[in-house]
Amino acid sequence: MSTHLAHVPAALSEILWQQQAGWPVLAGLQLLPLLGAALVLALGERAGAVTLGRIVALAELGLALLLYRHIDAATPALQLAERIDWLGYHAAADGVTALFVLLAALLVVLMTLYGLVRGLAHPGRLMGLILLAEAAVMSMLATTNLLWFALASVVELAVAAYLIGHWSTSTEDNRQLAVTRFLQFQGVGLALLAGGMLILAWGHADVTGRWSFDLFDLVKAPAQGKFQSAAFFLLFYGLAVRTPLFPLHGWLPNVAHRGTVAIAPALLLGVKVGIYGMLRFMLPLTQEAVAVWQPFIVGFAMVGVFYAALLAFFQTNLRRLLSFAVVSHTSLIVIGLFSLHPLGVAGAVLLSVNFGLAATVMLFMVGFVFRRTHTTDLVRLGGLFERIPFIAACFLTGGLAIAGMPGTPGFDAAHLVLEAAMERFGALPTVATALGNVTAAGFLLYAFQKAFLAPAAASENAPPLERTLPMEYLVGGVAVAVLLAAGFFFESWLVLIEPATQAMAARFGAE
Amino acid sequence: MADFPLLSLLLLTPPLGAALIWLWPRPAAARGIALAAALLTCVLALAVVTAFDASAPGFQLVEKYPWIPSLGIHYLVGVDGISLLFLPATGLLFVGVILASWTGVHTLARLYYSLLLLLATATLGIFCALDTVLFFLYWECTLVPLYFLVSLWGIGPNRRHAAMKYTLVMLVGGVPLLFGFVILAFGAMGNGGTLVFDLPTLLATPLPSDTQILLFLLLLVGFGVKVPLFPLHTWLPLLAMEGPAAVAAIVTGLKLGAYGLIRFAVPLAPTAAQELHWLLAALGTASLLFGAAAAMAQTNLRRMLGYASLSHVGLVVLGIASYNLPGLQGAVLQLLNFSVASAGLFLLTGCLHHRTGSTDSVKLGGVARSMPLLSSFFLLYGLAGLGLPGTAGFPAELLILVSAFEDHKGAGLAALLGTILAAAYFLDLYRRAFLGPITQASVQQATDLRPREFWPALVFALLLIGFGFWPTPLLDLIRPAAEAWLGQLG
Repeated sequence: MSTHLAHVPAALSEILWQQQAGWPVLAGLQLLPLLGAALVLALGERAGAVTLGRIVALAELGLALLLYRHIDAATPALQLAERIDWLGYHAAADGVTALFVLLAALLVVLMTLYGLVRGLAHPGRLMGLILLAEAAVMSMLATTNLLWFALASVVELAVAAYLIGHWSTSTEDNRQLAVTRFLQFQGVGLALLAGGMLILAWGHADVTGRWSFDLFDLVKAPAQGKFQSAAFFLLFYGLAVRTPLFPLHGWLPNVAHRGTVAIAPALLLGVKVGIYGMLRFMLPLTQEAVAVWQPFIVGFAMVGVFYAALLAFFQTNLRRLLSFAVVSHTSLIVIGLFSLHPLGVAGAVLLSVNFGLAATVMLFMVGFVFRRTHTTDLVRLGGLFERIPFIAACFLTGGLAIAGMPGTPGFDAAHLVLEAAMERFGALPTVATALGNVTAAGFLLYAFQKAFLAPAAASENAPPLERTLPMEYLVGGVAVAVLLAAGFFFESWLVLIEPATQAMAARFGAE
Repeated sequence: MADFPLLSLLLLTPPLGAALIWLWPRPAAARGIALAAALLTCVLALAVVTAFDASAPGFQLVEKYPWIPSLGIHYLVGVDGISLLFLPATGLLFVGVILASWTGVHTLARLYYSLLLLLATATLGIFCALDTVLFFLYWECTLVPLYFLVSLWGIGPNRRHAAMKYTLVMLVGGVPLLFGFVILAFGAMGNGGTLVFDLPTLLATPLPSDTQILLFLLLLVGFGVKVPLFPLHTWLPLLAMEGPAAVAAIVTGLKLGAYGLIRFAVPLAPTAAQELHWLLAALGTASLLFGAAAAMAQTNLRRMLGYASLSHVGLVVLGIASYNLPGLQGAVLQLLNFSVASAGLFLLTGCLHHRTGSTDSVKLGGVARSMPLLSSFFLLYGLAGLGLPGTAGFPAELLILVSAFEDHKGAGLAALLGTILAAAYFLDLYRRAFLGPITQASVQQATDLRPREFWPALVFALLLIGFGFWPTPLLDLIRPAAEAWLGQLG
């Protein structure tokens, strides 16, 4: 199927914001959390900082809903476009953007509530940093300029590194190790991304005589031959470090185990900007290379599903185990994306949103457990179900969503990915992948059993665990309700993203 | 009346009951609410039977709403003569289960009863769903309540292992099932390019015969795990030993896997099913003989009943494999018979375990002296499982044996041997556990069935005897759908 591609890909179309809304929604989405962050950080630990932060987070969720309302799901064009040429600022959104923005805004609202329950130190500063990271994520989602994407990525990663360094739950040495590994890996990832970006921009300058990092410009003059392959691999592995994807996931178990329990991992794993970047930039810009290298990437992803699932089985720490679960299921997303089939691409997008939400739910619940037990060592946990059944149930729901249980969006999305995989790669590799998914279910169930159902580790005189707090009910309840509602009203999400994902698949010759 | 969404109401009743359990201020009311919801479900299920037109072969009381229209997935429910009678059977079984758990559940009672009600919905949904995705949803949704019921309220020391094993085995079984449905959806894809998941359309568009073979094998494995068919049965004895009596009763009473074979595997791959009839018959016979032989070696009543269940369902699969009217009628009737007899046996072992702390014949003996009522009901249900004339098992087993002799002579002979073995293992263990002198103090001090246990047991017994003497109304209800089923096979 890859041999009949046109050499110049189809141009992109956009609709300016003036035609769709009274004001630039995307700019608002990026500026609101930025301003909020500045205000909250300026207030420091004074009264009102945390409340202000929470109000900003809620308002941002409102803006995200507004964006969702404004997006016209009938057209694949990028919409609400904003341009400031001298800055290279160019933002635009489609259904996929809207979905990711909604998810990001929701996760940040939950995070602000979660941070309060956990009683973390310096709540004001934490709140400001979360909002700063949110602004960076929104920028990455909204921009169509690769340079902006990379710069926003730097901001987000810097915030995450700061969070890991200052709110870590482990000793000084371990904390250093976590931050160092994180920076090493992400630094390499950013360097690769920058390399890919430069090759593309250089190719464009070669043809037109003008440097640009803008998606709309670059797509008209794509890099040719070997250069495109090089750009593809640089972009892919640059983004793969972020995602993270086997075999570039080395930082995650360390960060998850030794860093903060939930906030930093939820920021990094909840919104899968790596996958979003692949969809937004890599697929259209390195189209021929993608088609050529598709089997290679899919092969690696299939190995990744099993490799990470296998390693998850050997973990004795809940946080490490979860991080391997993430690596395993991310591979499934990549399989969907690289099926280059309309169903598969749609499935990959929905799967990343589902996994993001589900993984965040699980991370928060682990955080609540950690608040009580001060450990996430599976050997020392146990017997939690009788004291905190609600938290246990939320944890399990998240796990089942990751395992693709019918009734959660995970099922419908995984279903789409598997259907597409069957069309493209045949039954045998697909069945193997599905079994990998069942393996994921296996180790999540195992973790659940160890931590919540197994008899408590013998520790005499330990005070009974605190029951679930109202705020914990709120965080868990909202997240699980959204998860189940998204699973039940799956159609609306599918309709929202389908034009965009179909247009993307059409670039690769899918009807 | 025809437009009234009776099936949806039926499917909504148990989850509403589950919600009420949590909203009601007093946790102690949980069992009462659960019982009321289960009784209401029974009444609604009987209303479905009344509203059903017994002379028409197709699906009735059909409700169809778009769910994910861009993928061709619908909320589509309906019943025909094959699935109809499982609805009241399910309702009755859950009433019995809730009554049997009445005083046995002390921890997290709200959770226990709401999980039972959710399981009831999922089970009813399996019988009503006519969209393969909806079916799969209900199918997998049985796993969550079962997992918790076994791992939190199981009576064996290895209950968590059993829960884990059951769930994982079923999840693995779900993979071929899902692939089967995906193959069907692609195979029937219309000119418009939309996937097809609804059963009536799928039945009307048969696949090419080589794809059918693959489909049939996938569905056979997927459902065979749940049936269970030898050699995929290892979870069953474990669950019977470790799980609570209620779960063992539900899992062995409602043989969802066999229903899946009848509803989906055979009619959707008719050519392949006929070509591979020997495989189905062989698997049935192997389960029948292996289950019977293994049951003979047991000293524990629950483990024996687990293997007996394997043996009985082997006979049902053999009946299905003969692809003729008596075979199918007998198979459906036998499945209905189990939902009362097999479930009743497990509930009685639950009572026994509750009183004496064991169901092992080594620690029993002379139970009939201290608990005559329990022992009589146990014997009656057991004999109904064996197919004794005068019980509902007799017409069912006779029909299956007759049809098996028509189609698979060797398998028929083996089945006959199996019924003799069944009498041997059941009566022998019954003698050791229930008859003879009392040796244990726990048996001596035990009280017989209490009224709340006696009345459901009596209802079960009357049903078994009543339909044993008078099976015609059931057979008449099954006949039109069974004939349509055979017509599908050509």
